[in-house]
Amino acid sequence: MSDVNQVSADAEEEQFSPHETPSLPVGQWLRKNLFSNWANGILTLLGVLAALAALRGVLNFVFSENRQWDAVRTNLRALMTLSYPESQYIRVWVALGFIVGLAGLSAGIWANWGGVSVRRISTWLMGTGALLALCVIVREPSVILGSDGKVIRSIDGSLRRESFMDAMVDRSTWWIAAVLLLAVGAALWSRFSDPVRRRVEVSVTSVVFVGLGLAVLSLWIAPYGHYAFISETKSYIAESGRTVAFSTKMPWTVMLILLSCFFFVGRFFQSGRYLGFVKGASNLLWLISPLTLFWVVLRDPALDYGHVISTDLPMGLAFGLLGGALLWGLTRASIGEAGRITATALLVFAIFNWVAAFFGWYPMLQKARISFLLLALAALLAPNFMGEVAKRRQLVLGWVGVTALVHYLATMINTPSTVELQSTEFLGGLGLTLFVALIVVLLSFPLGVLLALGRTSKFPIFRMLSTSYIEVIRGVPLISVLIFFSVMVPLFLPDGMELAELAAVLTGYTLFSAAYLAENVRGGLQSITKGQYEAADAIGLTPAQRTGFIVLPQALTVSIPQLVGQVISTFKETSLLAIIGLFDFLRVANSVIPAQSEFMGVKREGILLVAMIYFFFNFTISKYSQRLERRVGLGER
Amino acid sequence: MHALLTEQKSGRGAGNRNREGLKQMRKNIMWRLLATLFAIALAASACGGSDSSDDSSASGSSSDAEETEVTLAASGESLLDTIKSRGTVNCGVSGSAVAFSELQADGSMAGFDADYCRVVAAAILGDANKVNFVSLTAAERFTAVQTGDVDLLMRNTTWTQSRDSEVGMDFGPTTYYDGQQLMGRESDGFSGSSQVSDVGGSVICTSAGTTTEKNIADAAAEAGVSIELQTFEDFDTVTNNFISGACDIITTDGSGLVGRKAKQQPDGENWVIFPATPISKEPLGPTYGQNDSAFADAVNWAVYATIIADEKGLDSSNVDMMLTGGDTETIRLLGGEGELQSGMGLPADAFYQVIKQVGNYDEIYSRNLNPVGLSREGSANAAWTAGGLVYAPPAR
Repeated sequence: MSDVNQVSADAEEEQFSPHETPSLPVGQWLRKNLFSNWANGILTLLGVLAALAALRGVLNFVFSENRQWDAVRTNLRALMTLSYPESQYIRVWVALGFIVGLAGLSAGIWANWGGVSVRRISTWLMGTGALLALCVIVREPSVILGSDGKVIRSIDGSLRRESFMDAMVDRSTWWIAAVLLLAVGAALWSRFSDPVRRRVEVSVTSVVFVGLGLAVLSLWIAPYGHYAFISETKSYIAESGRTVAFSTKMPWTVMLILLSCFFFVGRFFQSGRYLGFVKGASNLLWLISPLTLFWVVLRDPALDYGHVISTDLPMGLAFGLLGGALLWGLTRASIGEAGRITATALLVFAIFNWVAAFFGWYPMLQKARISFLLLALAALLAPNFMGEVAKRRQLVLGWVGVTALVHYLATMINTPSTVELQSTEFLGGLGLTLFVALIVVLLSFPLGVLLALGRTSKFPIFRMLSTSYIEVIRGVPLISVLIFFSVMVPLFLPDGMELAELAAVLTGYTLFSAAYLAENVRGGLQSITKGQYEAADAIGLTPAQRTGFIVLPQALTVSIPQLVGQVISTFKETSLLAIIGLFDFLRVANSVIPAQSEFMGVKREGILLVAMIYFFFNFTISKYSQRLERRVGLGER
Repeated sequence: MHALLTEQKSGRGAGNRNREGLKQMRKNIMWRLLATLFAIALAASACGGSDSSDDSSASGSSSDAEETEVTLAASGESLLDTIKSRGTVNCGVSGSAVAFSELQADGSMAGFDADYCRVVAAAILGDANKVNFVSLTAAERFTAVQTGDVDLLMRNTTWTQSRDSEVGMDFGPTTYYDGQQLMGRESDGFSGSSQVSDVGGSVICTSAGTTTEKNIADAAAEAGVSIELQTFEDFDTVTNNFISGACDIITTDGSGLVGRKAKQQPDGENWVIFPATPISKEPLGPTYGQNDSAFADAVNWAVYATIIADEKGLDSSNVDMMLTGGDTETIRLLGGEGELQSGMGLPADAFYQVIKQVGNYDEIYSRNLNPVGLSREGSANAAWTAGGLVYAPPAR
């Protein structure tokens, strides 16, 4: 594995970093690549000028005297969670802490990011220092403010700016930072320049942790300023020159500690004999924790224990035990055709329950309908588990686990929240965006794979159904699907059956995303040569085994770029939630902040921040997928 | 449905094969995983937990499919009783109307309209905080009332004949008298006494898809001047184009223009609002579904109570004192002897709670609208005794 990393790192160096290629000094590299002839030279110069102009434009925009960054700073909490009450904010941190801990654990178990040479780090440091210095120089001098804090205008109406030298003196802090970065980088560079030390590496993991540590440390010492909105007095606090509020820096410190602790826990298990168990557990937690965190931790349902004991528990137990007994019976080796008939009858009954619900024919608890459907599915799966006691037990225990989980979540979801909301929106901002994106990706993935398999299936009925589903969904814009699920679907539901806005949206978005995902996976499936299928058949694999062990692994590997593209666009398209009245964080920046009387019309600042956050997440996903592609050797064969 | 069939397929495929070995077990695990995910998808979507507490099982048990919601249409019951049993008022607001209903940094709703939602909650439920604010766009507001998603609108909704009749709304007492005006720069030769006839040849900007567009076009045609009308997605963009000089004049309701002038006028420029008599009438107030007199009376008299309190000099600071020391109408209004609230299905002290918890008309107005430069003096929103239009029938 480390060999692979080494090779790829070298390849990257050749591509991006001229300094690292020993055969070609900087001067020659420049001459060869950028100034090979006069036309090339002019293009290079024009390109550099354009880049500088763009940088200057961005800096002037960000540091303009017209920008009201206070609007964004005081609204940070609104951008993150909107109306989640401050008094119960600990729940948000607990949920985040759980995810962070799980991420640390997973990283500890799986991450093998290899090493990075110290020389490379030194070029990063020098590059950052140089960029910082460049920024300090190209930004135009600040406007002079009068003693009343207002801008001073000349007689012709133009603004008065300080001289270039004054500006450079004013920005001495930034200069010091730039020079420090350059100096440290240069020192490392020269110290590690001889052929032996050139190869010295530190692990990427430690670099990441040092970086995160410095970021968290800066919360405690750097004067980012203290900005807040005081609910009691409806007033804003804006104190520059202070460190951030304790209620911000303390939780983030805890998050870092959690991340590190669980990382080491993961590392500890990496070499132990419980690795398989820990891997399975962490995978399972990733699957169920988003829903649990949202509906249980954040919503804090007010359970009515009388109802739980009288109805919910007995029903769950009945389904778990009776269903388990039924499945135990169905997996008997001697069951024969009777098993299939029972399963089909059960399926017809389960589907009829839903049809009945839509016409309001006979009442039944919603959870029972879901459970019957699941039981029918489990019964259909039963022949897979026939025979040995161990396998039969597996199915029954799996059924009991699924029943427990489904009944638990359904009860929690149906119980009203105790969180004291200040407006109708339960969660908004970045929290909502991330939650929706995560759930949609998690749920649409298996559905998409099933659809893709259906579309390439030999059975005409599956092929037709999948194809028509995919084509219908792909022929309709996402907005229509979302509006359909938020406006139309509630009208079709029977009296008294309600679909929460968020649940409706999640369903619609998942169904939409799955259709696109299916096409991406199908692209991968079609790249599998016929020989693979024939070889699998030749060694006697069943169709399911052939799909699971031969076809899908290869197909999914091939479709990584498209799948990641789908994940990224799913994340970005959550901004359409604004159309149906949910407050994602783009909407907070776009229409909530500009509507506050304190910050009327202040929109561009928030949108710039939102764009940066979108970029951060998508760039991270994109980089990770590049790494993944390299690791599985995609595009190298 | 599809996933279902695929599962079925796997079942059939599995039935046909000869079973062997270790790999089999792992494949089973895969199918089980898919089944689990499917189950979670169902749980998340189909059983539809509602975040709102407005179903009949608000006490905390599951809201199952059979528990039907009590709606006005089904039972003929007044919304007033529904609200009392539910314990909250669902109030539709804009959510992005500066100083009228704005979401603050902590997610709470503030503003003139938001406070009038609180007035209704204080009157019916005795607690001004028992409001569930629903942010609605202009397009969805009336549907939200018709489907029962909200009980009433406090959403800058102009009282018009067609809305009162065809759309099926009823309107309560006007809380704010607005009207469309224009705003230009003093440096372009405009002043407070300019008229629509002075704007010939100007680029006039407003937000797209609103009645302001039609109003200004009509007014210009009537005045016989030709204008170039440009529309933008929202009024923030309109204002930015005005600041950058792309627009000579911008037009919307006067309340919006005053706010923009107070907050966004650059140093060294002077923006003026004209004409003195607005080119349109925009009476804004509570809006609710028609033919529910009990609820309409409750809302209307809660609003009147704030106006009467203003006339009587009764505010949140002296309401306890006036409970015994006021004149007979005041005492009656606050729930003393001979009070009239019980007869209309409200608690006897309904209006005492309104004044105590939210305030009188002047307090609500000053608290929300003074900070953005809107003052009552000399406007249509002054009390009728001070030359304005704000007037309430007597409480007796």
